[in-house]
Amino acid sequence: MNDRKDTIITLTINGQETAVPAGTSLLEACASAGAFVPTLCYLEGVCSNASCGVCLVEVEGARSLLRSCVQKAAQGMKVNTTGPRVLRARKTAVELILANHPQDCLTCARNGTCELQSLSERLGIREIRFPRTKKKLPIDRSVAGLVRDNDKCILCGRCVAVCKDVQTVSAIDFAGRGSRTRIAAFMDRGLAGSPCVQCGQCSVVCPTGAIIERDETAAVWRALADPKKTIVVQTAPAIRASLGEALGLEAGTLVTGKMVAALRRLGFDKVFDTQFAADLTIMEEGSELLARISGGGTLPMITSCSPGWIGFIETFYPALLPHLSTCKSPQQMFGAIAKTFWAEKAGLDPANVGVVSIMPCTAKKREAGRPEMVGAWQWWKEKGTVPEKPFADVDWALTTRELARMIRGAGIDLATLPEEDFDDPLGRSTGAATIFGTTGGVMEAALRTVYELVTKRSLPSLDFTAVRGLEGVKEAEVDLDGTKVRVAVVHTLGKARIILDEIAAGKSPYAFIEVMTCPGGCIGGGGQPVNIDAAKRLRRNKAMYVEDLRLPIRKSHENPAIGALYADFLGKPLGHLSHGLLHTKYKARKV
Amino acid sequence: MSAASQAQVKNVERNSLDAIIKKKQGRPGALLGILEEAQGLEEHRYLSEISLRQIAEGLDLPLSQVYSVATFYSYFNLKPQGLHSVVVCRGTACHTRGSLELLVEAVDRLGIEDFREEEENSATTLDGFATVRTVACFGQCALAPVVEIDGEMMSRMTVGRLVSALAKLRKGGPK
Repeated sequence: MNDRKDTIITLTINGQETAVPAGTSLLEACASAGAFVPTLCYLEGVCSNASCGVCLVEVEGARSLLRSCVQKAAQGMKVNTTGPRVLRARKTAVELILANHPQDCLTCARNGTCELQSLSERLGIREIRFPRTKKKLPIDRSVAGLVRDNDKCILCGRCVAVCKDVQTVSAIDFAGRGSRTRIAAFMDRGLAGSPCVQCGQCSVVCPTGAIIERDETAAVWRALADPKKTIVVQTAPAIRASLGEALGLEAGTLVTGKMVAALRRLGFDKVFDTQFAADLTIMEEGSELLARISGGGTLPMITSCSPGWIGFIETFYPALLPHLSTCKSPQQMFGAIAKTFWAEKAGLDPANVGVVSIMPCTAKKREAGRPEMVGAWQWWKEKGTVPEKPFADVDWALTTRELARMIRGAGIDLATLPEEDFDDPLGRSTGAATIFGTTGGVMEAALRTVYELVTKRSLPSLDFTAVRGLEGVKEAEVDLDGTKVRVAVVHTLGKARIILDEIAAGKSPYAFIEVMTCPGGCIGGGGQPVNIDAAKRLRRNKAMYVEDLRLPIRKSHENPAIGALYADFLGKPLGHLSHGLLHTKYKARKV
Repeated sequence: MSAASQAQVKNVERNSLDAIIKKKQGRPGALLGILEEAQGLEEHRYLSEISLRQIAEGLDLPLSQVYSVATFYSYFNLKPQGLHSVVVCRGTACHTRGSLELLVEAVDRLGIEDFREEEENSATTLDGFATVRTVACFGQCALAPVVEIDGEMMSRMTVGRLVSALAKLRKGGPK
């Protein structure tokens, strides 16, 4: 068979003649002919185990029904996707899965977003005909970001594929055989004993509630109700392009102003923006890069905003840790500034200030809980006015999904809310900070500032298009008044491995590299709305650049609130206070 | 054995496993062969966590993948095995001719508590004397029910013969 993509073949699907390029899967061919074939284990670009048996179609002349996700379309095929034989077999496949699936949809975190639930509804299943054959396994709550419940697992293998092939972490795999098959980390221990970096991509691709974020909304509700506490919230850049989607709007709908209004309605005392801290990050990280270039420091320097990535390099490439920027992530910079500069200015006891962050990320939960992330407490301690027990810079990191849950739970209708502005001063930000939310954004934001700091000239164009888009590895070269700086941008940990191996081999041509853990960067983060596909990822990506253009200031160093923060508090980038509050150290992690 | 000489034995085991890994590295299916030899190397015929870690590191494979393969094949033991082995066939033919009764008898006689056939395929006495195991089918259906004791197949097994065979083990029979 000729498999070249430019050869067109024709086949008949449900009586309709259809032309597709050779090499197209039957599943794709059916979709292009408008014949929807349901899937469960299949996930485009990630997983085609052909294990679930849901995508069965009937092909004339074939002895059995075929799994369309792995079967290639062939010239002259006559395909039926709706006949009684197909529908019965599909239904049986799902009924067999349901035999071992708990019937607790009403209380499941994925109630309403579960693919098994909607498939079961679509196929009209009204009873569970088969008895349960599996033993209930314990729930894994060993890590800060994720909860894994094998009882809800249907063994589709998507989590294994994304962890192994996309992220090259391989924290989990199939274990056992037959009715004892399960997804397990080494020795059936929790994720805590595995190389898991808590990126949460498994929780995004899981069709059911078998891997979910650790829900901390109850604790946040309690804190909001506590009259002694002042609770402030910060929202990561990517949330404004995904919160709407989590609440039923189209993917990529920007909801910045309505999100701010909703957070106020939930009872947050101040609605601030992680983007303020993203601008701060650019000031620190840009200065660090320039210092490394001029002072013979370790190059290439690699960004440090993405905590899954930090976990990855600490676990798999500890020898390359000196390449990481020492900058804390924007989330942590925000917490440290909110509980020092802002709390002092507002006359508040920092121990009674709670910082909640809304993140596209499950790894942020682990980052917030890292024992060294108590910069504010140390600052106050030096002034001699804090309790003995350290308080964290960030108290709770909620995912987009958790915030959507709170908004729905409170009966807030995003659509009818007015657009409101963030609070000053920690809510002021720029377009440069917005694009942190997508792959290439930190690099572009840094280049906008570094260029102007070095050349003292205005950039002719702010758009570094070479680092935009969703390709896995992007490169660019910038001329800083004679000094040519080569930069690279990668997303997903599998791609990060490529550039790390290059560095380890002493062959990296770059001065500065941006790494984001998740596909597409934060817009595709592990805490984002589930049921993601390439088209939705692109819409979220585009939304970030729309927001960048919408903002009056598009360069971090021109953010007046950042200027004031340095003038009134920090002094200068990389100064003494920055060192304690905004920078950190990394350590090798043994698993 | 003193702690020092125990440590010495362990070191010898680690070194032999390293040699096995080196010998098979790079060949297709190396992992299976190495797991097999590693199990043979261990005193209690099982794959210890230390061995699995050593193999994963030696072959540059994820721990989860090595564990996946080791737990897939019933040949591999993840727990120390007893001195004697009693394998009861639980295939259809053996089942219809009373193999469940034989399994229950073996488990009871050897003093294994709470063996759940649907959840595990083997259990070992607390004193490490014997391991009782089930298999799906020995392929000896004409001779059902079949029990294998220390490698010896015993066909058309009855509870009476099983009881005396187990008694013989206790008195220091085979091995």
